[in-house]
Amino acid sequence: MSTSRFKVKALSWSPYIEPVEVATASEEQLAAMQVTPSNTKVSPYVRTLAHDPESYVARTKLFNAIMYAKGGLDRAERELGALVASAVNRCVYCASVHARRYVELSGREDVVEQIYLRGLEGPFDARTQAIVDFCKALSETPSQATREQVQALRDHGMSKAEIVDLIHSAAIFGWANRLMHTLGHSVPVEAK
Amino acid sequence: MSDLDQIDILSGLKPGSELYAIRRERPEFVEGTELCRETVLSPNHGFGLSHALRAALASRMARFIGREDLAAVYDLMLDDAGSDPDLASIASGAETALAADAFTSAIIRHADLVTETPRNGSRADIERLEKAGLTNPQIIALSELIAFVNYEARVLAGLSLLEEVE
Repeated sequence: MSTSRFKVKALSWSPYIEPVEVATASEEQLAAMQVTPSNTKVSPYVRTLAHDPESYVARTKLFNAIMYAKGGLDRAERELGALVASAVNRCVYCASVHARRYVELSGREDVVEQIYLRGLEGPFDARTQAIVDFCKALSETPSQATREQVQALRDHGMSKAEIVDLIHSAAIFGWANRLMHTLGHSVPVEAK
Repeated sequence: MSDLDQIDILSGLKPGSELYAIRRERPEFVEGTELCRETVLSPNHGFGLSHALRAALASRMARFIGREDLAAVYDLMLDDAGSDPDLASIASGAETALAADAFTSAIIRHADLVTETPRNGSRADIERLEKAGLTNPQIIALSELIAFVNYEARVLAGLSLLEEVE
């Protein structure tokens, strides 16, 4: 266990465009947001993407499958894939959410501290290093990821099924970051 | 019976291979990705962004990411949807499509930017789209299309490498 006291701050997200208002949303938008007009507690992120309800619904289902499907890669390591992609894309909001989830699931504050203070170069323990190196390359320039990097994952005990899950978690954050980081910005959570 | 989809083919997954079987153990990834492809390339409500324009942009982005094979698939989709010299120019990756109007130019610029350097995205980039006349639904639909192609290219790259190792 780490003795680190490093903490990643909670952030909220604010869009650059006007989100859908629940009160005036179309039937399809309400269905996508899974609310009725009387229920107005929907995050700005969901309301922003609800401008295109079709893609929102399909992507949300895929996202949930990739991050939460049973079996396969450990949930914590899916979060690490998400964190590495978010660090590459400098999506501060996604990085903070998934760094905190990774720590909750793995207890590895040391890994998160290393990423926040010194970046993705490490050093990390061997298995973490293999995951970070592969997800970093895939996120930066997919064609730069190498067979040796995938072999390193295999050498550190990952099955092919687990690597399929890791590829998808890094890839779906190549998607999520391109929404969150370009459509809005992170803001400190307001003091209550 | 094996049934190869676009991801299998472009990743070089052989029917009956171990990885082919592993993909089918996650049908929600396989079907989910195809459903997302439909919603960004040929949605029911296109918000005035035509199927052909979407295919041309997808081809262009795939080219920029270095997946000529993926670009070729979207070139075929563009031909089926009805191409013209402007759309072909967008798909080719040309710096700017010569005849592109301000609306289309802003879309092309944004697709290039978010594909290559998403980290540099700022409020000014979204304001530029608004100034060029894009509505909020168009901005979101464009953003989802760009992000999808980037996701797909990463899945392909990862699976291709995984198929090569023991």
